[in-house]
Amino acid sequence: MQCERVRELLSPYLDGELSAEERRQVAAHLEECHSCSAQLSDFRRVGQTLAEAGREPAPKALTARVRGNLARAAHAEPPPTAALIPKPPSAGAVALRRGLLRQAAVIAAACVLSALATWLATSSLGQQHRLEQDVLAAHVRSLLQDSPIQVASSDAHTVKPWFAGRIDFSPEVKDLASEGFPLVGGRLDYVGGRRVGAVVYKRRLHIVNVFMWPSASLGDVAPLLVTRNGYNLLTWRRGGVDYWAVSDLNAGDLAQLQALL
Amino acid sequence: MEAAFNLAFWLVRSRADAEDIVQEAYLRAFRAFDGFRGGDMRPWLLAIVRNTAYRWLSNRRRSGTVISLEEAFAEGSGQSADDIASDEPTAEERLIGAAERDYVLRALAELPPAFREVLVLREIEGLAYREIAEVTGAPVGTVMSRLSRGRGELRKVLTRLMGKDEPNAM
Repeated sequence: MQCERVRELLSPYLDGELSAEERRQVAAHLEECHSCSAQLSDFRRVGQTLAEAGREPAPKALTARVRGNLARAAHAEPPPTAALIPKPPSAGAVALRRGLLRQAAVIAAACVLSALATWLATSSLGQQHRLEQDVLAAHVRSLLQDSPIQVASSDAHTVKPWFAGRIDFSPEVKDLASEGFPLVGGRLDYVGGRRVGAVVYKRRLHIVNVFMWPSASLGDVAPLLVTRNGYNLLTWRRGGVDYWAVSDLNAGDLAQLQALL
Repeated sequence: MEAAFNLAFWLVRSRADAEDIVQEAYLRAFRAFDGFRGGDMRPWLLAIVRNTAYRWLSNRRRSGTVISLEEAFAEGSGQSADDIASDEPTAEERLIGAAERDYVLRALAELPPAFREVLVLREIEGLAYREIAEVTGAPVGTVMSRLSRGRGELRKVLTRLMGKDEPNAM
């Protein structure tokens, strides 16, 4: 190998980004060429100096400020994706395996959610958001399983007793088929570090999970809508019970269900 | 967060502006979660930081405000030599190490942004070429040649800086 060619490969050689064959050739050249190996050791030394200098330390207050911004943004309707956001990789092969990919995307979304949840969990402001993420993750999880329910019945008098002995309160279960929200069934889930009841309703083809658990605080709270990753989350408190309804259903239908429960 | 601030700082060379950029970038990232297609979150987030910083730079150019290097460094790193030194080096070694570091950082600041960013991502963040390509939106081959040229340029500037202040330095 000529010096000129080796000089081009020194940098990827140092970074371990050469093929085995190229690496071998460069190494052989370096054994013999003092000038090329001197350049390599300069590169290495400067790189080490930079690595030791480390990152410019971020201001202590920045993390708190960013969290505050995110907490406020979480309550606002997300605006359309800005042009500055890198585009996802091109959708060439997507059509072939659309079904699989969609499932993978949902799982990926759930991973991101848990990453964000961890990130927000450390702040007190993040508590509500952690709950949102938990509830949404539980909803997505239920959709990924073969069936979102453990007890299948459109009869409220079958579903409600099923919860007895499984959780420490009796959840609200109603058959709303005549209002367009047929009861599908119920199951246990895990949200906010506790076992909760999940009652599943349907609206056309949409699944709605209604999570509920006894509230830590008294006093009713009016419904609050949050939109996350294309899902609507509606939360309210009534009679000492916290409710979270989650679905890809539109906000209006979700509010209608809330009014019926 | 630390990585985001570091990249923003090295692109705009001002702590105050880097702070604004990181805040804006995180908001963008948060709102664009739907655009995230899985995988490692860090390159994706750094790409948003980078794009935000570049947009900020082009706005600043248009408005005609230019910050000098001296200024950027006067307000720059509050990190003292003692914070970084490890393995309990002697005072003398520490002094030499700090001086060399100072030269290298000054030389890095003089490089064009395209070289600066790949060097920061590689040497400080330790990203692989594939990840740097993801952050900068350039093909891996381009990343490789920019790093190669960037290292060469850095070495040149360094030689010049050290030669000017201290003829026997390198």
